[in-house]
Amino acid sequence: MSFRHETLPNGLEVIAEVSDSALSASVGFFVNTGSRDESDQTWGVSHFLEHMVFKGTDTLSADDINRRFDDLGAAANAFTSEEDTVYYASVLPENQREAVELIGSILRPAIREEDFETEKLVILEEIQMYDDQPPFGADDICRAAFFAGHPAARSVLGTLDSVRGIGIDQMRDYHRRRYAADNVVLAATGAIDFAELVETAKRICGDWEPCPAAPRACSLPSRACGGGDEVIREQIIREAAALEYVIRLSAGPDGDDPDRYAAKWLAMMLGDESGSRFYWEFIDSGAADYASCHHQDFLDAGVFGVQLSSDAESIEEIIERAEEILADVTANGLTAGEMEQARSKLASRIVLSGERARRRLFGVGLEWAHSRRYRSVADDLGVVETLTAADLGRLLERWPLSGSHATVLAGPLESTAAGGEPSVVATSKPQ
Amino acid sequence: MKQTLYSAILDNGIILLGEELPDLESVAVAFHVPAGGIHDGPGRCGLASLTSEMMLRGAGTRDSRGLIEDFAMAGINWSNAVSTTHATYFGAMVARRLPEAMPIYADIIRRPLLPEDQFESGQQVVLQGLAGTDDDPSHRTLLALKKLAFPAPWGLPSEGLAGDVEQLTPAAVSGFAHRHVRPDGMIVAAAGRLDWPDFVTRMEGLFADWQPGEAAGVQTGARGGRWQHVEHDSQQTHIAIAWSVPPYSSDDSYEATAALSVLGGGTSSRFFTEVRERRGLCYSVSAGYSTQRDFASAICYAGTSSERAQQTLDVMLEEIERLPASITDAELGRVKARAKSGLVMQQESSSSRAGGIARQWYHLGRVRSLADELERLDRLSVSSVRNWLERNPPADLSIVSLGRNPLEVPRELSA
Repeated sequence: MSFRHETLPNGLEVIAEVSDSALSASVGFFVNTGSRDESDQTWGVSHFLEHMVFKGTDTLSADDINRRFDDLGAAANAFTSEEDTVYYASVLPENQREAVELIGSILRPAIREEDFETEKLVILEEIQMYDDQPPFGADDICRAAFFAGHPAARSVLGTLDSVRGIGIDQMRDYHRRRYAADNVVLAATGAIDFAELVETAKRICGDWEPCPAAPRACSLPSRACGGGDEVIREQIIREAAALEYVIRLSAGPDGDDPDRYAAKWLAMMLGDESGSRFYWEFIDSGAADYASCHHQDFLDAGVFGVQLSSDAESIEEIIERAEEILADVTANGLTAGEMEQARSKLASRIVLSGERARRRLFGVGLEWAHSRRYRSVADDLGVVETLTAADLGRLLERWPLSGSHATVLAGPLESTAAGGEPSVVATSKPQ
Repeated sequence: MKQTLYSAILDNGIILLGEELPDLESVAVAFHVPAGGIHDGPGRCGLASLTSEMMLRGAGTRDSRGLIEDFAMAGINWSNAVSTTHATYFGAMVARRLPEAMPIYADIIRRPLLPEDQFESGQQVVLQGLAGTDDDPSHRTLLALKKLAFPAPWGLPSEGLAGDVEQLTPAAVSGFAHRHVRPDGMIVAAAGRLDWPDFVTRMEGLFADWQPGEAAGVQTGARGGRWQHVEHDSQQTHIAIAWSVPPYSSDDSYEATAALSVLGGGTSSRFFTEVRERRGLCYSVSAGYSTQRDFASAICYAGTSSERAQQTLDVMLEEIERLPASITDAELGRVKARAKSGLVMQQESSSSRAGGIARQWYHLGRVRSLADELERLDRLSVSSVRNWLERNPPADLSIVSLGRNPLEVPRELSA
């Protein structure tokens, strides 16, 4: 395994983790842009643009693009998050050059009026599809409440109204600013020919213009950055739902914080799908359908996310019990046995996911796109092996799980008010 | 590409399969026990799932917590699943931990405690899972389609039916485990950084003295109707369509899966192009292949907002109808390229290969080499696919819709 890096004159960076034994090549363009880079007027444009990228360039139609990906036998797709838009493909090594040419070419889309209107319909379908599924919007409402005042408050997809309101010129302007050469990283993992990768990037992307971008990190004080001690609770009523779904967010270390590894470790002890505190309390007994905890980091914020679901009658008791567990762990930490089991699981998962060039692509690409750092599988394993109880203690002191948080319920439960306080109720029924 | 495949059969009938992938650090092992949902029995839909859940609640000298903790300490990424035909106990790990893992699986399969005091908890786990799937409209749609298109008990959900699961007892669970968790018909597949002789020796030590049981037959009943609408309060309407195609064991399955791939496999497929790209009717639309040993089905799916659902169904039916005479060389070339990439990339994953070799043995009684698969793919031609489609055009369709309003289906189907 070796790491390679080169920056083109226009600022586009090319990186690769080259493996001698891999049978496939994975390549991805990581654009440093997502919903946090939108405004209220362009809410949803990052994701909408991701779709438009596949609708054609001045010389390629949408059908041409779809056919060429399938001709290459590529497992190709794209995703948009709060901070990133990523276009990627896994191919056999002999198709590396063509895969990079194709993705590189479509990142300069024509954005035609007719395609814009048709694809808007697909986005509206996608929004409705997710709205029909658990957790029935609780994740978006919770993020909005918790991140209020922070750019990551906006949901990635946008709303039916915000997407309907996006104009084609707004999208073109957004593309010009955010898809500039110096805001894109081309990353590759697996059986990569690095010299050819750089040569292809120069040929396809060499004439892309750079565009100086404003810093993205947010200095606003907000709950997401650890400010305040407020507890927020909201509720979405979905009478037809079979279960009640709960999302709870509290602050954690950001993507640049050395404690982010301890945060993943803690989340595993608390809410992994097997053998965690939540597992023994809620899943083993069949009290809840689902109970998990994870840590997610952003450029300038981080969160611990708890998800719970059960029948509506039991949910209040389950929330209460989860709060007790979070308070207990914050005050008393975890046992040596729990720490060793979680360490062993974490190490095993790092090795297993490190074997798949496709999975590695996202780890390597996002790390570089966010922080210009490269970390090998061995680097990650090294950190996991040296985490200590003291790391955990410091983490919990800095980011008490029982501190300020937002909880949102969605499901058939009638409006309730914990502790006699009125809760904010957002009733959202399918129109 | 060099491939190292192994197989062995123990005297009691356990099939051992292996594939060495020496560039990996990991190994994956899957124990497929012939205790799937088809053996549930009338009025006991979900018994296989509940039994599998109970089998993980302590085994041998390990109690419920000890079992899960031992998995964690050995870094075993474990899971269990119950399909129509099998209960599967799976684990992926760093290769040197395999000797620690195997005795844990042997205990689960041969010496489960099935603790009665945890029966209610196990039952609750299954019931909670069922309530969760009630909130997943696409999953519900596909379950309803299976029930229509497949003969009983093959069309019943292996995750169970709530009304049946509520009636199950600890005695039913131990009876099921005793009868169906058995060596004959069990397939154990390992792939990755594997020491095959050592694996076989350990398997013999753990399983060779286990006696086979009495053969368990399955009574196959009638299939459901042709067309059903399921009421559901949602913004989108979900559509699923099925018809019969040859099973994986038939040589024709290559032609059938190629035709389905042209219809709804990749982003250049007919469905994706006509339903999503040209008309913007939906976000997800696809066609795929689902096989049992003796029969198989084409399964098409789309989810779309209710007011555009009728148009979506109409376009899908049109595309199915015009498929037989219209497949082109370019389309088939893309199907082959995608299939070839998929086959080669599987070789990078111990989990995919452990699943793949077991599936092939179950369906074919042998493991097909990668070279054989690629050679058979190469032999596909437009004329072979067209000829097959002309002889076997999509017919006798089953259709399910789920949403607020029923759709209109062609008269010959609704009759």
